[in-house]
Amino acid sequence: MRTDRLYIGLGKTLAVGLVLIWSLLPIVFIVLSSLKPGVEIFAVPPKFFFTPTLEHYVNLWEKWGTFFQGLFNSLVVTVGATLLAVSASAAAGYVCSRYRSRFLTGSIFFLIVVRLIPPIVVTLPLFPAVNWLRLNDTHIVLIVLYATFFVSLGTILMRTFIDQIPRELDEAAQIDGAGRLTILRLVILPLAAPGILAVAVFVVVYAWNEFLFAFIFTATRAKTAPFVISEMIGSIDGVDWGVLFAASTAQLAPVLLFVVFMHRYLVAGLTAGATKG
Amino acid sequence: MNLRKAAEVLPFIAPVQALVLGVIVIPSAFVVWMSFHVSSFGQAPQFVGWANYLKILTDPAFLRSLGNTFLIVLTAVHVELLVGLGMALLFASGLPWRRYLLVAVLAPYAVSEVTAVAMWRFLFDPDLGPVTMVLQSLNLPILDWSFEPSHALIMVGLLTVWLHLPFTFVILYAARLAIPKDLYEAAFIDGATRLQAFAKITLPLLGPAIVIALLFRYIFAFRLFSEVWLLTGGGPARSTEVVAVYLYEEAFRFNAFGTAAATAWIMVLISMLLAAGYVLILRRETAADAY
Repeated sequence: MRTDRLYIGLGKTLAVGLVLIWSLLPIVFIVLSSLKPGVEIFAVPPKFFFTPTLEHYVNLWEKWGTFFQGLFNSLVVTVGATLLAVSASAAAGYVCSRYRSRFLTGSIFFLIVVRLIPPIVVTLPLFPAVNWLRLNDTHIVLIVLYATFFVSLGTILMRTFIDQIPRELDEAAQIDGAGRLTILRLVILPLAAPGILAVAVFVVVYAWNEFLFAFIFTATRAKTAPFVISEMIGSIDGVDWGVLFAASTAQLAPVLLFVVFMHRYLVAGLTAGATKG
Repeated sequence: MNLRKAAEVLPFIAPVQALVLGVIVIPSAFVVWMSFHVSSFGQAPQFVGWANYLKILTDPAFLRSLGNTFLIVLTAVHVELLVGLGMALLFASGLPWRRYLLVAVLAPYAVSEVTAVAMWRFLFDPDLGPVTMVLQSLNLPILDWSFEPSHALIMVGLLTVWLHLPFTFVILYAARLAIPKDLYEAAFIDGATRLQAFAKITLPLLGPAIVIALLFRYIFAFRLFSEVWLLTGGGPARSTEVVAVYLYEEAFRFNAFGTAAATAWIMVLISMLLAAGYVLILRRETAADAY
């Protein structure tokens, strides 16, 4: 029995080790390599101890100024899309939670069906339409696109979270003469903070990382960081791996820290989002 | 619902519905119209019936992209499911520092497809990559993904699994934690073995979560674009294209919006078919809690 337990313990340790290597090794590699002196990036066997240098970041700054503009564009688009998606979803989720009607049931079902449409499909008519509206290569296009592809999940999540807030609170506020909007703003939203954060995590990660729409709808002025990195990968003939790693690390670090910090809400959102819609 | 109530509800739900209608529903409906027409710059669109559909369904490049997509989706999603299930059971069996391990496992969720491609290109670089070096020193075959189409598809599959394992894992792990402990206690008192407990309790109770995780992943994996586009660009000679890459090339490289639209609708239809079962289950549930 005791040896049994020993084997189980060993097996588990091994399994955990494999899981960690699989999940973290690529990330660790890219972050460490961005700090390695140029010649040591491809050293065999890989060096885990070295004198860190910022030379690749300096090169990135000097040769790829567009990357930093890309980071700024990503930030603008991410903040915009998150605000739009969260406020639209919160309002819709609120009434879906508090009213019961055929119309609302129908519209939730409709939102679920819409999630099935692959984003690339809408690029075909939207590409000429966006050009015609002279909105190509602007932040607005990406903000609206990113928000729209998350409002259906957002609404369903917000409804699930708001369902847990007792209705008596609404009713008490109503007796005090508060209107629907005031109730939403002052009573519901503060209590639905975990739901808001769950929706926000999804939108932030998506908007910060998205490639397809940025690739199709932006060119120079609104180009996002992932798009700039894809150009670095594309110029592969003489790809400067050090600079590519520095850019990847700079793009990855903020969103990775965000997810680590918010993982509780991410898990809550993923489970609620999958089981409720 | 009476009119006064409707007037109260509408402003709240209007922003969401306006976004979804304007950006997704109306454009998608317009794609149907596009798929029955040919047009090029400066010319009026011309109705061609089913010609666009016929054209792509007889195009070897399209059929190959469809085949590649199914191959990647079916293998990657099922590998994800098996590994995710194993990890969920491992985590549920009690681990020290579980919270930190959970965060580590979630990390790839934060990584963009672009950055992930940069990482994996480096790790598996056929000449210099660290993983290639390790494989070579162990006398194992390496992934020559820049020349060999089948190796490129394996790379895409690995990348897909890496990026999406956190999702599958979280769904299954949450479902596993929701199974009451006393079920296992009762089973072990009755003399059940671990294997029996797994087969008679864990697996059946995880059933719905497994179905949901699978369907979600089928539908989302079917959209696969960036990984392929950034790794191989569909090449060499269009041999590693997937459906979304085929669509992109038709529209934005060959300027053939008609056939691209037909491809788009085939994508929508396949997604709908994949989801039909799921939607049916869901409608029963939303209808049930509506009253």
